[in-house]
Amino acid sequence: MAGDLPYERLLQESLKHELKVVNAHLPTEQKPLSDLLREEYPHVVCKDGTTHLFSRKELRYLAGLIDAEEQGSLLLPLLIEVGAGSGEMAVLCPGETAAKVIASVLDMTVTPRQSKITIYKPQLAVIRRVLRTTTQYIFHLKSSNQISLP
Amino acid sequence: MPQQVIKVARPTKIELIKLRRRLALATRIQKIVKDRVSILILEFLQVARQTVEAKRRLLDEFAESYRTLSITAGYHGYIALEKELAASERDLGIAAGLRNVGGVRIPAFELKEAGSGVRGYSLVDTSSWLDRTAGLSQKCLETIVELAELQRSLELLGREINRTKRILNALEYLIIPALAVTIKYLYMKFEERDREEKSRLKRVKVLLERK
Repeated sequence: MAGDLPYERLLQESLKHELKVVNAHLPTEQKPLSDLLREEYPHVVCKDGTTHLFSRKELRYLAGLIDAEEQGSLLLPLLIEVGAGSGEMAVLCPGETAAKVIASVLDMTVTPRQSKITIYKPQLAVIRRVLRTTTQYIFHLKSSNQISLP
Repeated sequence: MPQQVIKVARPTKIELIKLRRRLALATRIQKIVKDRVSILILEFLQVARQTVEAKRRLLDEFAESYRTLSITAGYHGYIALEKELAASERDLGIAAGLRNVGGVRIPAFELKEAGSGVRGYSLVDTSSWLDRTAGLSQKCLETIVELAELQRSLELLGREINRTKRILNALEYLIIPALAVTIKYLYMKFEERDREEKSRLKRVKVLLERK
């Protein structure tokens, strides 16, 4: 039941919309770097049907960081998971190549735990500055039933 | 500001469960929206920094290319230079697409690279100054395209931050407090009802004892 609070129905609708759009930009599939380098317009298709274009400059930069054999195992875009309410984020890296790339970009050693590299905001800023088009955010919709009542 | 209690049809347990569910959902959405806003602000600041840097670079490149062009014009003469450059005109190709940053679709432009390195003027009759001018102009073009992308991104990100912040404020200061106050009101109603029930039973007991 929608209450009688002014604009409440409107707010409820916009909230529903917010949940829909928050992860609509995720790619339907990740593509290997080697394939993207061969494409005329390197891109991936997102869940909402739009395309996400990669910068050729960035792809060349990534190709320079790893060996030619590893280019096939680096899946792009790299996904950065943002946890609900927590200050930390994680880069999802299913293979060793992604960890190697992140280590090179951050210029520090990283240890993936359960295929995730935990990063903090200053590191996120560095990653996003260097890899603007080859990384994407994924918002973690954690469900919690703990409500604190006044 | 005192919070307004949401009008409920009947103060029942079912209504309480519904309200608690709505509060849980609203709290969850609030966390996500808060994260989204912080990410968008981070992106906005980064794009703003890049825009300032690109603008400064563009001004430097323009100044340098005009300086080189005037030296070239002085070296060759205007008429000879115009004659050489008449054949060097070519179409510009820009690949345009979309990028997605935290749910915001922002444009992506990329200047297409020319297939061959030929610029259309005679290399025999011209000096290296003209080559330098052409190179600098090319750089200017690349920066203009980059700046166009950055400025549009800045505008779109700013608009989205505004919109999302409004939703976050509505959640933080309106919806969640109103739901919490209503839940508290329902609890008070139930306690009141319990107390009434107890006193009624006591009264009945006294009446029965008198008989």
